[in-house]
Formats: sequence, C-alpha cells, structure tokens
Amino acid sequence: MRLVIERGELLRALGHVTSVVERRTTIPILSNVLLRAGNGKLSLKATDLEREVIEDVAATVSAPGAVTVPAHMLHDIVRKLPDGAEIEIKRDPEKERLTITAGQSRFALQTLGPEDFPDIAAGDLAHSFELGAADLKRLIEKTRFAISTEETRYYLNGIFLHVAEKGSSRTLRAVATDGHRLAQVELSRPEGAEGMPGVIIPRKTVHELHRLIEASSAPVKIGVSPSKVRFEIGTVTLTSKLIDGTFPDYGRVIPQGNDKELTVSNADFIGAVDRVSTIASERGRAVKLNITGDKLVLSVNNPEGGSATEEIGVGYTASPLEIGFNARYLLDIASQLEGDEAHFLLADPGSPTMIRDGGDDTALYVLMPMRV
Amino acid sequence: MTAHIRQLPAETVNRIAAGEVIERPASVVKELVENAIDAGAREIDIVTVAGGLSLIRVTDDGHGMDRANLNLAVERHATSKLPADDLLDIRSLGFRGEALPSIGSVGYLSIASCQHGARDGLEVIVDRGSKQPIKPAALNAGSRVEVRDLFSATPARLKFLKSERSENMAVSEVVKRLAMAHPEVGFALTTGERTGLRLPRADLSGDGLLQRLGRIMGREFMADALPIDGERDGIRVSGFAGLPTLHRPDPSQQFLFVNTRPVKDKLLIGAVRAAYGDLIPKGRYPLLALFVELSPQEVDVNVHPAKAEVRFRDAGRVRSLLIGALRFALENAGHRATARGGTLTVETLVARSEPPAAAPFAYRATSQAAASHLPRGFSDAMQAPFAAFDEPSADSSAAQDEVAPDLLDHPLGAARAQLHETYIVAQTRVSVVIVDQHAAHERLVYERMKKMLSNGGVARQGLLIPAIVDVGDEEAAALNDKADELAELGLVLEGFGNGAVAVREMPALLGDTDIEGLVKDLAAEILDNGQGFALLDRLEAVCSRMACHGSVRAGRRLTPSEMNALLREMEATPYSGQCNHGRPTYVELKLTDIERLFGRR
Repeated sequence: MRLVIERGELLRALGHVTSVVERRTTIPILSNVLLRAGNGKLSLKATDLEREVIEDVAATVSAPGAVTVPAHMLHDIVRKLPDGAEIEIKRDPEKERLTITAGQSRFALQTLGPEDFPDIAAGDLAHSFELGAADLKRLIEKTRFAISTEETRYYLNGIFLHVAEKGSSRTLRAVATDGHRLAQVELSRPEGAEGMPGVIIPRKTVHELHRLIEASSAPVKIGVSPSKVRFEIGTVTLTSKLIDGTFPDYGRVIPQGNDKELTVSNADFIGAVDRVSTIASERGRAVKLNITGDKLVLSVNNPEGGSATEEIGVGYTASPLEIGFNARYLLDIASQLEGDEAHFLLADPGSPTMIRDGGDDTALYVLMPMRV
Repeated sequence: MTAHIRQLPAETVNRIAAGEVIERPASVVKELVENAIDAGAREIDIVTVAGGLSLIRVTDDGHGMDRANLNLAVERHATSKLPADDLLDIRSLGFRGEALPSIGSVGYLSIASCQHGARDGLEVIVDRGSKQPIKPAALNAGSRVEVRDLFSATPARLKFLKSERSENMAVSEVVKRLAMAHPEVGFALTTGERTGLRLPRADLSGDGLLQRLGRIMGREFMADALPIDGERDGIRVSGFAGLPTLHRPDPSQQFLFVNTRPVKDKLLIGAVRAAYGDLIPKGRYPLLALFVELSPQEVDVNVHPAKAEVRFRDAGRVRSLLIGALRFALENAGHRATARGGTLTVETLVARSEPPAAAPFAYRATSQAAASHLPRGFSDAMQAPFAAFDEPSADSSAAQDEVAPDLLDHPLGAARAQLHETYIVAQTRVSVVIVDQHAAHERLVYERMKKMLSNGGVARQGLLIPAIVDVGDEEAAALNDKADELAELGLVLEGFGNGAVAVREMPALLGDTDIEGLVKDLAAEILDNGQGFALLDRLEAVCSRMACHGSVRAGRRLTPSEMNALLREMEATPYSGQCNHGRPTYVELKLTDIERLFGRR
C-alpha cells in the first residue's frame, strides 16, 4: 500500500473519524483507524463497536492496500505537520510498519491487520429519507439537553426519533427526557419516512452526528432499520446501533389542561434566573416563581449563602401562584427558545408545567416543579 | 409397616433437649460459667483438655449447694433461678433448668459442692443419664463441676465437631464475653497445658472495666476508647466505644450485652452502624463493648436456645438511646484521631532507622543537599531537577516567628511549617502534630454541608414519569411505613399495588440517579435493620464529593495564619479526626515517642 495525500484533507477526515475512538479500550484494534487505499481515494474508518464513521478522501494511490494504525497518534502526527504538506503513506510489508513521510519528517507506526477490524455497518436499512442539515441540527439541539445520563434507565439515554400524528398532518418528531424534564421538537414528515420504526438514538451518536453536521449545510441522507441508523453527510457516513428498549409513553406526561398562561420576555427571564441563582451555590437549588397579576417575582433563598429576588413584568391573568423550579433546568429550556417570548402553561405547584416558544410552535418543553 | 406412637424414654428426651442447649464444648463452658456467676463467685477457674471433649472443669468460690439442692440440680427443669415462676422477670443468666441434666445425658458429669460454713462437701455423679447416689467429697467452699467424655453418648454429634483448635477458640470466645460482662469476677482459663487467659478481679470503682476490656480487646482499644454512658426511661447504656479511626474488616470486636448477657442482636448492631454512619469507611467495623441494662420485664431473653438474641418490648427506644449515647460520645471526641497513627509512624521510623544498605555515592555535607536525596513522594523520578531549585518545599516562614505561647495550649497546637504544600506541622507542649490539609479541610466542608442539609431541608425534584419499582410485598409495606421519614429526606413514594411502589419525587441533590437501585437498597435495609441508610448514605456521598471539590487541595501553599485557622476549626468541629473516607486527618507524635526514636529513653 502506497499513496500521497494532501495534509489538510487527511486532517479533516481524521478529525471526523477519530472522535468515536475511545482513548482507553480493552480491545487493542478499537484504538486504531482502518486505512484502505484504492480507486484514487483513501477510505478511513473508526469504530467503538456501537457506531462507526467512514470517510473517503481523494488521494494519489500508487499501490492499493489496507492497514490499521493507532488513531489518536496518527491524528496528532498529521495535525502537527505543516499546513499544505504532501504526506506520503507507505506500508512496508516486511516490517509490518506504516511509514508516514512529509518533508523532512518521517514516522513509522505499529500496525495491526485490517482483517480483524470490526464491521457493524453491513446490511441494508429499510427506510431512508433526506433531511436538511439545518432541520436535523434543530431536532438535535433542542432536545439533547434533556437526555438522561443515568444508565439504569438506558432507554432514556438517547433521542427518540419517530413519526407522530399532529392533527391531520404527520410529523417526524424527536423527544428526549431524563424524568425531570422533557423536550419535544417536530418537523413535517419527509418523503420516505412513513412506516419507519420509532428509534432511540444513543447520546454519543447524537453528539457525533451534531459535530459532523455542524459546519455542513448539505442535505443528510438518513437510513433507519429497527436496530441501526445511518447518516450520510457528504463524504462521511456515520452508522450507529440503536438503544434496544421501549421509550416510555411520553404523551401522558405532556399536560393538556394547564390553563394558567404566563407570557414573559425570554431574555429578561433568562437574565433574572441567572442572576438570582448566583446565590444558590449547590446543585439542585430551587428558584421560586411567585406570580401575581402582571408581576413575576423570582427568588432564591440559601440559608447559608443569603437570598436574592428579582421582579419582572409579565402577562398573566389567572389566580396567583407560587411554584419552584431547578434553576439549571429553567435555563436549559429557556436558552432553547428562539422567539422573544416564552409561554409558560401552569397548573399548580406539584404538576408538570409546559413551556412553549413564542417564535416556534413545533417545539415544546415540559418541566416538573421542585418542592422546597 | 405399622408405626405406633409411644412416649419416648426420659433418656432419649434428655438427649434431644441436649442437642439444642449443648451444641459444642463451648456451650457447656458457657452454661457452667454462667451458673458459677449466678452463684455469686468471685474467682472462676476453667480447665479444658482436648478441646473440652475429654475434660471440662469449672471451679468457683460461689455459695455452693446443700444435699437437697444438689440432688435436684441434675433433674430436668429444676432450677433455683425462677423463684416466682415468672418468665417475665428473669434476673439471672440461666433460668430454664436444662443445662445440667442435658450435660449429664450426653457425658459424664460430676458436681461437687460445699456451702459456706458447711463441714463437708458433697458430690453427685450423672454418667450418661444414670444418676448415682450422693456421696461426700473434699473441697473448699464453692462448687466444682467436671464434665468428662462429652458427647460419648451421642457419637453422631461427636463426628460433626470441628478441630480441637477451633473448639478451643470457641471456648475462649465464650469466656471472654462473659468476662467482659463481669469484670468484678476473676477468670482463669487453662486450655490443655497452656494457660489461655488470666483475668484478675477488677476494681469497679476505678477504670477496672476498661482494664478488663483492654486485656481482651487489645491495648489499642484502651487508648482509643470513649466512655459511653446514657440513660433514659429506666434504660441505661454504658461501656466503651472505639474512635472511628480504629476499625476492623469484620465485626468480631463488637461486643454487645443486654443485662450482662452477651448477645448478637440485629437491632443493636444496626444501631451501632447508624451511630458510626459516615465516620467509618464502608465494610469496616468499629470496636466497642456496650452494656444495655433495663428492667427484666422490658426484655424477653427466652427467644433463642443459646440466648444470643433478645426481644425488646420497646425496640425503638433502646435503639435511639444507643445511637444517642454513641453519637454524643463521638461528637465530644471531636477531632480526636486514633493514637495508632502516631504509634504506626514511630514504628515505621524505627524500622527504617538503620542506614540504607547502599550509602548515597555522593554524600554532601550541607543539609540542603542531603535533603534533596530524600525520596520525594510525587516528583517524577526520571526528571532530574535543576540543582539550584531543588530545595525542600517546606514553607519555613512560620517557623521563624516566635510561637505565641497560648497557641501551644490548643490540642492541635501552633502551626510551624507546611511541608510538600500538603502537610501542616504543628507543635503542642508535648507533641508534634502532622495534619493532612486536604483531608482535614474536606471533612470540615463536609460537616458544614451536612449541617446545611439538616437545617435547610432537602429540596425535592418532581418526576415527570413516576418511577415504578417492583420490590415485593413485604418490602413495599416496609417502605410505606417509613414514607414520612423518607419524604423528609426528599424521597416521596406511595404504594402502587402488588408489591410495587411509585416514586414521585426525588432529592434534587441526587440529580439524575438510579432510582430503582436506591429504592431496593432502602427496602432491604428497612427490612433488615428497621431503618434505611441508603438514602442518607447517598445524600452524604454527594455532599462528600462536593466537599472534596470545594476544599483546599494538597499542593496549595498556606500562610501561617491560614494554617492556624484550619487547626482551630478542626478542634471546634466534631468528627474532624477522620476524613470522609475514614482515614485520619492528622497524626500526633508524642515527644516521648520521638525521644525514644533517638534512644533518649
């Protein structure tokens, strides 16, 4: 195997694939990236057995072949080479080394055989559709903060992507919850998604996907089967196993009868919550919301640290209400809102509260209050 | 085949009964020594040969028995210890009247006794169930009971006995427990040719009890024992408990007594655990000897054939008294850490005081250069330092000031230096104190947080989807009974039919946590001990983790006034003698120990 490749191209591809490689692993080959040369391109592949990323880069291949080398080390080497360098990669079959030459620098890396490299992506995925990068990004960004990190309820450790009915139209909906709050965003259903099974995309895959589409604007091709999901973003393909579990019937926790509506300027609200929660040094300290007439008083009381209150003008006509929330949860949700106004739909201090975006009626959030 | 029901002969009945009371030689020793104690003995001499199988002899100087009593003593269900036939009012160790006839039915039993003032002694012999007529015997006032060829009448039992060594251990364990409860009685135990234990009669007015405990539980315990004394509503708890920094991997050094009767009672063991709580690392057990005294009507000892378990009429009160008394003593011990730390240090230093086998090849006379040859714990061995910067990291500025004499009078003394930016060296009038600044500060922050937790209440986060946990019927009922207590700690749950509970709110402090695991742990603990520790444990674990992050780390340089402030706060804070992981936060080296190091003593 022998090829020449431009440094910038290789670095970008390595940046995409190596982030799935775990730094510490008990199976040596999982620390490696698979390089396969042929047909005028170099194909890179990395996996952690749950997901894999493949990227093709143009290269001048003089002898095809395949090899695996330590992924993070290769990434570090390429990163440190000067910009614009031409890199020659050559496998010396006798010494079982991969030599990398650029200018006056020369590296020889230990290799492992490509035949042992695991492959999870095999097989066709029954359902496939396309989403704009911006749409996919929105589904992820507005829900991922609510993904649970607690591993005994593993079925909450991801985003639940499924087709739902909204009135007469059908939508593609993403939901995430950690049992304390819930986030739900939807899009009109893309062509090809009908009949797609509801799938739970694991947290790490969500973060990888977000990284890959962050800078991109091209449409993303999505393939789904009951056990796998695949995203094709330009030259990169991310394939992931799904969480094998049943997402709870989240519809039950979305309150239907909350009739006390509070309308508040989102920027004012974020600022106020952020300021008063300074007093609460501990994790999980509650912000109390006291709503009377057109006035919302936010307060935090920390017996050891002091107290803080702030008053903001709001739109509210229902009977007065006092309710507590975790300050961090409030900020998490409020910072997802795009419109100028946040709408809170409240019932009582012990029941879930619904929060809607004044500028976007496809997203909704549910938050359980805290009792102090 | 036809089987006819028939009345068993007395001998068989006795052997069956013996199986319950007399399980192994140690049980014989227990019964006989208890009898001796009940007879008011002041000195008890115990001899066993071949693990107690060939001979057990217990000699006492108690009040002895006359002919009529002696005759009755070996009869079944005959006892002098239940004067009013009232099983609710048991004031002696024995009461069933089963021991002697049981022993007599499985071996050769001889009882010789002489009352005070009587001219002659008498002896009765029961040989494997057959009683022989009483005959005169020569002995001093008191009784002498001999058991030979134990279990020769029940060969099956003989086969299942353990090795001689472990039978000897069991005997010695039994005698130790009884001896702890009766320091006013002298004990001597001879096993085979060896004198096992020699415990002189202790004077109860002074520290007799502690001396006796020290002889049995070790000198370490004596040095670290805190006196326990509490009384409420006619229940009294006394004894000694070890400092939390003195702990063992098993509970074998926890001795609990109810009305001087050694017991292994779950309720009491649970109370001890609750009292030590977060002061002791998981899986380690404190050393203690506690005596609970209460009116015999308040406790049922007739639960277990070997009387190892008891039932309290008001278990909750005993429990809370025990926890209260232990907590009080531990709190007052404040910052005390085990004296073992100092002893261990001195031992290590003594062990290393011989010159190293290979002398440093370039010995330089200046003290600074010599110091750089000391092994430096965390430095990278491969990286050679610049010689000029390679000085010990001691912040010697504190040592240059004159020490304020009043600082020396504090228990932890005046800070003199900081070494390796981790250890504070302080000086008192009689010792040198070395404090681990991170461990000490972590504990201080932790105690502050716990106070906050108990003052401010626990904030509860509601759950969108109630977590349904299947625990089983008994467990669910137990959790429901404790629902109010759990709610105070932030866990709100309710029954959910058929052995399940629905958790509606969780302590906000725990964040996104494993609810099912927590609830199951709690249920198991409540069933086992009558109280769940898991929730408090987890809350405290979170506090402890936050304390670890919020505290002065190793490697921070402290000014002398900061160091002194830390020492003063340690003195004022309860439980500051150990860090959150149960390790000591400081070590005190007595001047006398240091002098010994240099051969001055």
